[in-house]
This record gives sequence, C-alpha cells and structure tokens, in this order.
Amino acid sequence: MPNSNIDIISAIESKLKDKVQIHLGQLGTAAINTSNGLHRDVLKAMVEADEKTAISAITGLDLGANLGILYHIRTSNAFITIRAEVPKDNPKIQTITDIIPGAVFHEFEVSDLLGVVFEGNSLSGHFVLSEYWPEGVYPLRKDVKANEVKLNPPPAEVKQPEDKNIVKIIIGPQHPALLEPEKFAVTVEGETVTKVEPRIGYVHRGIEKASESRTYVQDVYLVERICGICNACHAYGFVGAVEKILKTEVPPRAKYLRVITLELNRLHSHLLTLGHAGLEIGYETLFQYFWRDREPIMDLIELTGGNRVYASLMTVGGVRRDLKDSDIPKIKTTLENLRKKLPFYRQLYENEPSIKARMQNVGVLKREDAIKLSVVGPVARGSGYDIDVRKDEPYEAYGEIPFKKIVYTSGDTWARMNVRMDEVEESINIIEYAVDHLPAGPFRVDVPRNVTAGEAVSRNEAPRGELFYYVKSNGTAYPERVKVRTPTFANIPSFLKTAIGENIADVPPNFVSLDPCFSCTDR
Amino acid sequence: MIDFDLILRILIFPGFTFILLLTLFCEWVERKLEARLQNRVGPMVAGPGGILQPLADFIKLLTKEEIEPRDAKKTVFKFAPLIAFTIMVFAICFLPIDGASVLSTTGFNGDLILILTFSTIASFLLFLSGWASCNPYGTISSARVLTQFLGYDIPLFLLALTPAFIAGSLSIFVIASSQTVPYILLAPWAFVLFIIAMQAELEKDPFDVPDAESELVGGLETEYTGGKLAFLHLTRSVQIVFGAALVVELFLDGPHGPVFFGLPAFWYSLWFVLKLLAVVIVTEYITTLFARLRIDQVLSANWRIILPAAILSLMLTVAMVTWVYPLV
Repeated sequence: MPNSNIDIISAIESKLKDKVQIHLGQLGTAAINTSNGLHRDVLKAMVEADEKTAISAITGLDLGANLGILYHIRTSNAFITIRAEVPKDNPKIQTITDIIPGAVFHEFEVSDLLGVVFEGNSLSGHFVLSEYWPEGVYPLRKDVKANEVKLNPPPAEVKQPEDKNIVKIIIGPQHPALLEPEKFAVTVEGETVTKVEPRIGYVHRGIEKASESRTYVQDVYLVERICGICNACHAYGFVGAVEKILKTEVPPRAKYLRVITLELNRLHSHLLTLGHAGLEIGYETLFQYFWRDREPIMDLIELTGGNRVYASLMTVGGVRRDLKDSDIPKIKTTLENLRKKLPFYRQLYENEPSIKARMQNVGVLKREDAIKLSVVGPVARGSGYDIDVRKDEPYEAYGEIPFKKIVYTSGDTWARMNVRMDEVEESINIIEYAVDHLPAGPFRVDVPRNVTAGEAVSRNEAPRGELFYYVKSNGTAYPERVKVRTPTFANIPSFLKTAIGENIADVPPNFVSLDPCFSCTDR
Repeated sequence: MIDFDLILRILIFPGFTFILLLTLFCEWVERKLEARLQNRVGPMVAGPGGILQPLADFIKLLTKEEIEPRDAKKTVFKFAPLIAFTIMVFAICFLPIDGASVLSTTGFNGDLILILTFSTIASFLLFLSGWASCNPYGTISSARVLTQFLGYDIPLFLLALTPAFIAGSLSIFVIASSQTVPYILLAPWAFVLFIIAMQAELEKDPFDVPDAESELVGGLETEYTGGKLAFLHLTRSVQIVFGAALVVELFLDGPHGPVFFGLPAFWYSLWFVLKLLAVVIVTEYITTLFARLRIDQVLSANWRIILPAAILSLMLTVAMVTWVYPLV
C-alpha cells in the first residue's frame, strides 16, 4: 500500500513509542503487539487520530498456554491488527466496547467460542452456541474434539416471565419475514418497538472448527457453503488469504475472471434484495418483477461457472474454469437487457409514493453511529460512511477497472436500497469492462498443497459489505485457524439501534435493508 | 302453505348457492388477474385454467385437523368465522341481483343502512375471532382491524349516502332502479372515493395492514386451522364480492341493462355479474399497484383526506341535487 497510512502509524508511535512493537506489512498495513491492556491505549490513539476508525473483526486464537486476541481495525486508509494475549487459566481482558461500541458482538462471539472473558462487556450467555452447550467447553480451543462434546439435556419446561403490560413479538426462528432461522424478540408497547433482543446461532455449523481438520483444497469448498448467495466472495476471501501466505501472484486473466464472478454475485444478490424489500412492504408485484429479471443473471452464473448457485470457480492460484470467447456475446446481451430495465426500477424506487412512504425516514442511521457501530457495505454507504474495499484497498483487477463508489447520506432504508440500485448499474459496467479487457494467458498457476507457516488477512467487498478472512497456517496441509467475519454480523448492531422507537411495521423493511444473511452470520 | 319459490330463491338462485359460486369465481378471477399482472401464471391445475382452485382450497381446508389453542376463548373462537360468513351472505341477499333481491321484490326503505351495518358487524366478528385466539400476532392484527374499520366505516357510510340522496331513497332497490343515468356519471367524485374507502374496508392493498404477513405472520388467522380457517377465508372473499356488488348497485345502475330476448331475470343476472367483475378487476388492479401502508399512515390518510373528502362529496352532491340536476 502507498505511504498514505504513515499518519496513523506515526500517531501511535508518538504516543506509545516504546511500549508496543509495530510490525509494518503484517496482517494488513501493520500488526501491533501489545501487552497488559495496552491494546486499549493503541485503540484510543487510533480513534483520536482518525475519526473513521472502526472495528472489522476480533479473532481469537489458541496459542497453547495462552489465548491470542487479534483486533482487526480499519481506518480511512489503513488496516491494522492489534495483538493481545491472555493466559489460558485466567483469560481475562478489558473490553473495548466503550471505545468502539460496535465491538460488542465481536467480543461476545470470542467469549462464546474461546472462553475469553471481556471485562465490561454487558452480554453474557450463549450467542452462537446452543443453550444446552456444556459449561466450560470452548469449541475453538485445540483440546476440544467437536464430535465428543455432549450437550446438556434440555429442561422439561421453559418458564417464561409473565408481564401482562408488554407484548413480546417473537420474530423468528420461523417467520415469513425471515428466510433463515434467527430470533429477534421484539418488545412492543402498542405498536412501538421498545427493545430488540437478538439470538443467532440456530444454524451454527462450526465451519471455522471444521476447516481446521480439512485440507486447504477442501476448505475452499467448505467456506463456499457458508453462504449460498455470496459464495464466490467467501471462496475468494479464503483463497486470497492463502495466496498471501504463499505469496502467489495470480495471472492477470484469472484476476479479471474473478472480478466477473464476484460482480455476478453482487448483481444477483442486489436484485434479490431489491425484490425482497418489496415483499416486506407488501409490494408483491415489485418482488415478482425483480426476481424475474434476476433469473438471466443466474443463467450467466451457470454459463461462466457451470452451476446456477455454487459456481466453485475460485481456487488457490487462479480460477478453475476459463471463459470461452463464444460465451462473451451472451453475457453482453443479457447485461444490456438488464440495463434497459433499470430506469423503470429506478423511477419506481424514487417516485412510487407507497414505497417512499414505507422506506423514507425508516431506520435512520446517522453517520457517526454508522462509524461507531462499525457497519459495513451498503448500510455504511447509505449513511454517508464511504467505505468500499474495492476502492479502499483494491484487490484483483478492481484497481484497473473504472467504477464509482456509491454513497447516499440520508441513512434510511430508502438510501440503503438506492445504494444497491446504483450498484447494480456499476456492476454491469464493471462486468462489461472486464469482459472487454480480458487479458490473454493462463488462468491458473500451480501451488503447493502444503502451505508455508504464516498468517494473513484478506478482505473483499461482498454484496452485503466487507467480508473478512483470517487464515493461519502451520506448514502442513491443514490450516491452524480460519476466522470468518461476515458482513451481516457487523451490521446487526445497527438494526438493534435503529429499530427502537419505531413502529412494529417498520421492522421488516428496516431489517431487510441490511440484506441480512444469517446462515453466513452463524457459520 | 309453503312458498317453494322463495325457498328456491334463498337456497339456489339468486341465494346461497349462487352467491357461493360467484364468490369462488371472483376469487379465481382475482388470483388469475393478480398472477398475470405479476408475471406469474396463477392457478393452473384444478379445472380449465385452474377455475376450480378456490373450491379445491376450500374443500382441502375442510378436511384438515381442527386445533384450538389452550388459552383461546373457545365459543367466540369457534363461531365468529361462521357467523361472520352468514351475516355477509345475508347482507348480499338484500341486493337486487336478478332485478329483485333474494328476500323480496322491492326490499324495504332503509335496507341500505341495514346492510352497511351487517358489513360492520362482520368486520367486528373478524376482530373478535383474532382477539379470541389469544395469540400476539392475532391480537395486534385484531387491534389493527378495529382501528382501521372504525376509521373507514364513517366515510363509507357518508359516501353511500350520495346515491341515496340523488335517488331520494334509502332503499337499495329504488336506488338501483332509478338510475336512468348511472350515478358514476352523475357523481364520479363519490365513486372514486367510495372505491378507495371500500379498498380500506376490505383490507386490500395498500390498506391491508391487518394481515401484513411480514410482521404479523398470519394476522388474525394465525391460530386458525381446518374448517374455521376455510370459513375465515370464505368470509374475506364474500366481503370482497359484497363490496363490489354494493358499488354496482349504488353507482353502476344495479343489475339493469338491455334485455334482448327471453327472461329479463337472466339478462339482469348477467349484467350484474359482468359489472361486478369489472369492479373486482379495478380493485385488484389497485391492489397489485401499491405497497402496503403503515397503520399510522392509513389512519392519517383516513382522518386527513378521506373523511373530509367524503363530507365535501356529500355537500357537493346535495348542492348538485338541489340546483344542477333539475336543470339537466
């Protein structure tokens, strides 16, 4: 990366010169080793130096005698990892939620899966794991064998506390507004929401743990299964991290083919959400129209990848399948047809009175809150928080392709949907450019099966926002640790904030404007 | 002495059987039309073009298991849908379908108010059915039904008075048969407002807040199963037919039209059904065109726009009847 990141590093150095070790170029822009609670001071220095400091993820590691905690922080021009360690027999560390409130669920997850106690974090209980998970067993520790864990028997009868004055509406795990099993207990007074309690983990499959017992090649297909809609982004996230460890340079043709796949992913995902939003506000016609026009994109995915949903195109060292020259005209006509339909949809979203009535000023997330809660993707860009990994830290061929970063400032549901609307058009442009400028040459290089010891982070802009991967290898064919932070996981806090005080009828449109994907969130 | 003619009229035509078949037919038209407008095919399998699908759905539900929630108010829960259905069919019996209404040849003066009251009672029974099921979704949905129909009943009554004013009678038969010029031409403003208020009264988009499935799951039907659910669905469909029929009687010259040969009753029924279908198509078109409003938006639309407009419409009508129509 260019020298633009010097300021933040020098800001940290000026404050904490001798107390921390800064390793430039590791795990993003720099990795900073801290001890004795200094991670908070580093973080404070960063927040003071750059108002756009937000948390991307927290990775927990089992290092034998100690537990490692990696805070992955993004600023306006850098990506910095702060390392901290706590002893396994007394795994206590101070929370950072008072500095960055958006870290609350990140910490909660690490404490659930690795047993780290974050002092000062208000959440307790299970977040990802089952309610019947035995006490003191933390699945991501190396001594825990996943298939030997015995769950506690469920209690015979669950007693609910009774308070006649409040009505608690349970949205999920099975609910027509949610396509995936997740629970939000919404407390309402009359029709006004006063409290939202989330519970995720209904489809927690333990993919992070499972990936440790599979080879790198198998893991590409495993992480792809985290999410059906943005599967190529997940595969790319993993592959990108592994390639960084191996220091593999991917051939240019593969870079362009990857961009095409990733953008097709974004196209169909955005069309899906734009239609689904119609369903949530009772506009079935809009839903049917969008999903009709999404179908040709699915055909393109099948054309380029061989499969309608799981293209499995990404592999370490390139892509698995070349694009035939004879297929390019079909891609171009399909995209051209979609582009012709866009003005109709745009004026529908911009001018249709009932859509505006249901979406404008609903779920307003201010820019400051968006940064504090560390949201990502269209949710951030709809609030004027202009982050887009494709522009901020261009990966693959994105640096060579001209496109616009879409930012809206009103921060409501309507803005978030319009960000997606505009991105559909940008995606079409990107794919057309990539198809026109496709370099010749090989589309894959061979890489060794055993990955050299090392660690790397990889970020990419999935349809729902920044998707984060951390991979640590120990020199064998099996990874030591794979950490995935999905965009929806980062966006849930914003929903909990914006839903309060709104009408219960605003909950579904507000919620769907995050484009939530829970099977990703659970992993 | 038993009046077989009257029994036939009540049971077969234009009474119960006819109304039931008409309801199922209208439901099919609605579903098919909505599907075509949304780029879908709609019912295809049961009967030609899926025309028997509503009947098949009804029979299927009748065969399903009946489950009652432990906390439900049993009596109300059980009987509210059935009574609501009965009342709606009874209300339609007062409308002249084949030139005369089911029960008498002329109705009586004031039956317009009676059937509007019936429709209100049916809405109230639907509210009760959801309330009695003791389910949070049902409860909220019921509260919305109540809020909404309290708001839209008044404008609907006021707007229904417009044709009554022009005809100078509260009897539907007189209103329908005195339209030498259909009232839609004499008072188009009232017609448009009446369609909108009707749309709200029937809980169709953009006013279908009580059964907003994205937040309320099944709405007041959430706990209903089997036959009771079948009758809830049927009540909704009959309500739609009733609404459309009322529009036909009040604004579209009732069942009257040219009689070419044979029985006038046959032609009257035909015209009635055709006009009814036209109204159903218009309302269904509105339904597919809009998103669902929020309950507070529905209410403010009602109190700020529809109600003042209804009063204005009535005043305008009175002025027209007094000063303008006599000149024409």
